[in-house]
Amino acid sequence: MKALLNNSLLPMMRTQTVAGSQRRELILLSLFLVLIWGVTAMLSPRFLSIDNLTDILVQAAPLGFVVLGQMLVIVVRGLDLSVASIMATAAVLSIGANDSTISIVLLALAVGAIVGGVNGYLVAYRGVTPFLATLATMIVLQGIRFAYTKGAPGGSLPETFRWMATGSIGGIPVSLIVLAVVAVGIYWLLMRTKFGYQLRLFGDNPQSAYMTGAPVRKIQVIVFVLSGVLAALAGLFLVGYVGIVDNWTGQGYELDSIAAAVIGGAALRGGKGSVAGVLLATLILVSLFNIVVILGLSVEFQLVIKGLLIVLAAAVYLSKSRD
Amino acid sequence: MINTNQQSSSAWLGNLARAVRFETMHWVIIGLIFAVFALGSFGSERFATLTNIFNVQDQLVALAIIALAQTLVILSGGIDLSFAGLLGLLCVFFAGFNAQDGETLALAFAATLALGAFLGAINGAITAFIGVHPFIVTLGTSTILTGLALLHSSQPGGSVALFFEDVAYARLGGVPYGFIFVVLLYIFTAFMLWRSNFGIRLYAIGNNEAAAKVSGVPVKQTKVLVYMLSGLLASLAAIYMVGRFGVGDPRAGVGFDLRSITPVIVGGTLLAGGFGGVLGTALAVILLSLLANALNLMNVSSFYQWIIEGVIIICAVSVLVGRSKK
Repeated sequence: MKALLNNSLLPMMRTQTVAGSQRRELILLSLFLVLIWGVTAMLSPRFLSIDNLTDILVQAAPLGFVVLGQMLVIVVRGLDLSVASIMATAAVLSIGANDSTISIVLLALAVGAIVGGVNGYLVAYRGVTPFLATLATMIVLQGIRFAYTKGAPGGSLPETFRWMATGSIGGIPVSLIVLAVVAVGIYWLLMRTKFGYQLRLFGDNPQSAYMTGAPVRKIQVIVFVLSGVLAALAGLFLVGYVGIVDNWTGQGYELDSIAAAVIGGAALRGGKGSVAGVLLATLILVSLFNIVVILGLSVEFQLVIKGLLIVLAAAVYLSKSRD
Repeated sequence: MINTNQQSSSAWLGNLARAVRFETMHWVIIGLIFAVFALGSFGSERFATLTNIFNVQDQLVALAIIALAQTLVILSGGIDLSFAGLLGLLCVFFAGFNAQDGETLALAFAATLALGAFLGAINGAITAFIGVHPFIVTLGTSTILTGLALLHSSQPGGSVALFFEDVAYARLGGVPYGFIFVVLLYIFTAFMLWRSNFGIRLYAIGNNEAAAKVSGVPVKQTKVLVYMLSGLLASLAAIYMVGRFGVGDPRAGVGFDLRSITPVIVGGTLLAGGFGGVLGTALAVILLSLLANALNLMNVSSFYQWIIEGVIIICAVSVLVGRSKK
């Protein structure tokens, strides 16, 4: 009993020290963002215009949704490689099936929830490694999507989506309002509810979460469902932003979202993740793309910088967590 | 689910014996290969011809080499996602020599092998000495290398001596040279895993890194070595690809990061490391290549092929999970 108590108290105490290191991480990330924005502004005055900065934020919104879901999955020691495939499949199926905005949204979110549920079931109840479970659903979804569209997606995109992704209410972009609401919701869920506590406890130490009676399997399933739903939402926003429904919508988002989550302070060994951190990291990744374009560098440079950033960030966090 | 690592730390010698022995999983794959054969012969009269079988042997060479590299890395408890960028860079690098005579070709060979080994060693060093998760390290380096490959040449370019292309297309009594080379490579690697200190250490680290360290295994050096080998094998695959295509394509590696993992897992090697071997990977590469070929000849669109591939991964893993629970 004593050991049990110790086990369950340990992560709580660790949370306290984690809070301190997370504050430092947030400061570091903000400084880095200010640094790259500052350097770019000096080289090209065009960069700091309101229009351009708004554009960066709006571009970052779809990745932001995916990253929030990915972060939750990483906190429970998982990994979701199927998010990009969910984005495209949810958008293609729901827009191909009907024209009404509400039913498109509901259908897309349902697709995300079902796929997330399958991922969660395979991981929690069948004991499949998250990497493989989500890799398999990624490939299956790809097949379903192409078989459904026969290679060329149909259906017309209602104007509402264009407005959702690029429009604004009182000067504030709609997509950012939705992202802020979702981010606050996820923060509340993760940090202020019993579910969130059990979720972090499971990521920190599955054994002790199990012993304290947390419904560990349900937690995993719910987290994967959330990730799927957020990916589907991101798919709709991205389709609205681009203006075209494409079979490869969101390609590359699976690895980008993992990179952003890790740069933002989520640890792949589980138990650690911060909403503000991963959103800042998302903004950094999307800014890099914008900066490369504004400075007239070739797009390949973006890849080199992004890769260096991923490795550097991971190395920095690691040496700090050893202190 | 809670306690996934059920193998005791001292069991790695037993695992070693199992690595070269026939497992239930291997029989399952062989059974599936026969099933695909039946399906293919039934669905297309062109399938069960010698010409077609030799073609399949040609098609699986690059995947087989990369899957072999991935097997070694996964056995050590790591993962290598850098092939997407690495193969592209090595292809444009090798083709960039424009080797037309034997001397330049030898130089290009040596330089490409050295570059592959060097880049692999960087992956290994960051993983082993700084302690960053290999997933993140290799994801990062893959992104960097993709960028470098595209900066080197944005379009497929370069060339290689015609006589080298002839070698890549040559056949010995119908069997492609490339396939013979792959078979020898697999046999050599199996012996290395079975007999050498390096092989034993690889299993020990994959099974239980802490225990391996305590028993005196040079964990960090072995890790660097395995990623170096992975880079070296990627060089061989890249050289072969340039030989086949005649040019270096900076996008030659696209998709190989995840595609290289499928045969390893279907072949029964555990993603957690320390268990499995090259025999399973070899059988799985044959199975997946034959299946793709049969479905192609039966005019099944690649859309349905994806669905089938995903279902096969789920089934294979479920069988493995069922076994490890016993």
